[in-house]
This record gives sequence, structure tokens and C-alpha cells, in this order.
Amino acid sequence: MTSVRFVFPKVRLAEILKAPGGLAVADALERCQANLELIKPTCVAEMVALIELAESRYGQLGEAFDDQALADLYAVAVQGIGGGAVCGAPTVDNALNSFCDLLDSMRNTKRFDREAVGVHVRAWRLLMTPGLPPAGAEAVLDGLLKVSKRYAA
Amino acid sequence: MGLDSASRARFNLDRAAVLLLDDTPMGMSILVQIVTGLGAKTVYRCISVEQAQEVACNYEIDLAIIDGMAPSGHGYDFVKWLRTEAKEPNCYSPVLLTTSHTPASDVVRARDCGGHLIIKKPIAPKVMLERILWVAKEGRPFLFSGNYVGPDRRFRNDGPPDGVGRRREDLIEQEKAAAAAATAEAAEDPESRAAS
Repeated sequence: MTSVRFVFPKVRLAEILKAPGGLAVADALERCQANLELIKPTCVAEMVALIELAESRYGQLGEAFDDQALADLYAVAVQGIGGGAVCGAPTVDNALNSFCDLLDSMRNTKRFDREAVGVHVRAWRLLMTPGLPPAGAEAVLDGLLKVSKRYAA
Repeated sequence: MGLDSASRARFNLDRAAVLLLDDTPMGMSILVQIVTGLGAKTVYRCISVEQAQEVACNYEIDLAIIDGMAPSGHGYDFVKWLRTEAKEPNCYSPVLLTTSHTPASDVVRARDCGGHLIIKKPIAPKVMLERILWVAKEGRPFLFSGNYVGPDRRFRNDGPPDGVGRRREDLIEQEKAAAAAATAEAAEDPESRAAS
């Protein structure tokens, strides 16, 4: 039988949050958005660097299943998730999520389809295109999700 | 959680010491902008588990925002370490886990490492604030059970499902039913009673 012990620790954060002063919720959220806008150029540059790395690793993929190569690609794709929204291309986050799902499924099931990987890499760059119509981006994303779902473990 | 983005309600993170762990430059940069935008002034930026452990050993932490660090998953190891090895009060610090993508093999680690909540990237500032306010709520118990050390993950206790009692009471009921059945059997079978 497992013994269970409960402790009720004092949460200092609760007291700190209630301290006088601070920020109104609306103002704080505006400050966050302004801050994120400031780092947009850096994020775009980092995202482009990740795309180039992914393209290079994709170029080295063979036709046979290679677990390490897929793990390396996963390590690149996962770094980009979260950056799309800041770069002004929120669909990129969903596309990368689909890409990571695909790579994870392939590694778990030991199935491999070079073209399914390639379409995600190409879509990553496409979705970063400034001024891409939202409907077009959604259509691309829809296609990617269909591909990754085919390989879902 | 439902926070109104236009709310004029105030909160104060000025005096909070916040530990951030994220091994990607972009991820760290986004976290820093959000947390400082929300008013935090003391922010420890850690890009490795070792750095985070050093901070947790030397400074009091009011909030930790930890990336699971896929694909290595070392962020979850840090939270486990914080819960089991770090000294008070840091071992009880509220922990928000962030994740870009959780590989199937890491789902259980993410669940059992001892974090309060998991936030999926991309992180919206509003979501981050909602989660911070939620983990700061007082009265949430900490649980030490087998290999799990961390906050009680039950959001509410509705008791057992309808028509199902507690297991301890089930046993008593079963014992009573067995005793009653034995008595009835003995009463209905006088021959066996005579033979015995």
C-alpha cells in the first residue's frame, strides 16, 4: 500500500501578487505585446536560420528509415514552435506541430516517407512568406495535418 | 480561468523572483518579454538544468517557468529534482511547464514530474497571466505519494461516481454479504448442518 502525505505550503507568490501597486491586467497585456513586437526581427532571423538548417538536414535524408536523422530534424523543428506567432505567421506554429507529430510517429512506428517530411519542410518556408493570405496558409496547414495524421501512431 | 483582457484589476509581480529555464534563444527571449511585460523585475534566465539548479540552491524562487526541453526532456528532470532535492521553500515553488511538443514517450514524464500546469507553445501573454494567477492560489495541497512529489493534480473532488462507494466501505459490504450468504446457506441445508 502506498502511503500518502499532504503538505499545505505557504505560497509567497499569492502575497506578492496582492501587494499594492503593480499593473492593471489590460496594461500588462499591452506591455507584453509591445515587448514581443520588439523582438520580432530577431525571431524572424532565428526562424529563417532554423528553416535553413531543416532544409540542409532534409537534403541529407536517404530513402530508408534513419532514426537518428529523424531525431535531428525533430530537434530543429521543435525549436521553432512558439516563434511563429511572434513572427506574425501563427500558422507556422501549427505546421511545426504537425511536423513534430509526423517525425515522432515515424520514429515510433519505424515507418518512413521522405516526401511527407519534405512537404513539411517546404511548407515551413512558404508559411513564413510575408503577406501570405490567411486562407492560403490555412489550406496549406490543412494539407499538412492530413499528411501527419496518416502516420499517426 | 477566463481572464478579461480589458480588466483594470491589478496584480503585482514587482517583488517576485522568477526562474526561467529554456534552452532555445528564441524560446527564452519570448518568455523574458512576457514575464517582464507582466511586471517581474527579478528574472533568472537559465539555459541549462545545471544553471537552474544553481539558482534554485542559492536564491528564493517565487515562480518557475520551465520548458520541458524536447527532445531531451531535461526540463522535466529539473522539476523532479526541484521537488525532491531542493530545500524549502523552493521545493514547493509554483512551477509552470511550457512545452513546444511532447513526444509520445515523454507524456508520462511531463505528467509526473511535479509541475503545476503545462502550457503549450505558442504562449499568449494572457494565458501566461491566467496560469500565474491560478498557481498562486493558496490552499492547494502538496502531495508525497510513492514516486510522485508535487501539487495535488485534482482540480476538484467530486467523490466517487454515482452508486459507487469508497473501496473501504465496499469491503465491509462484501464481508457483510458473504456472512449473510453463509448464514442463509446453513439455514437452507439442515442435512449438511447435521452432518457437520
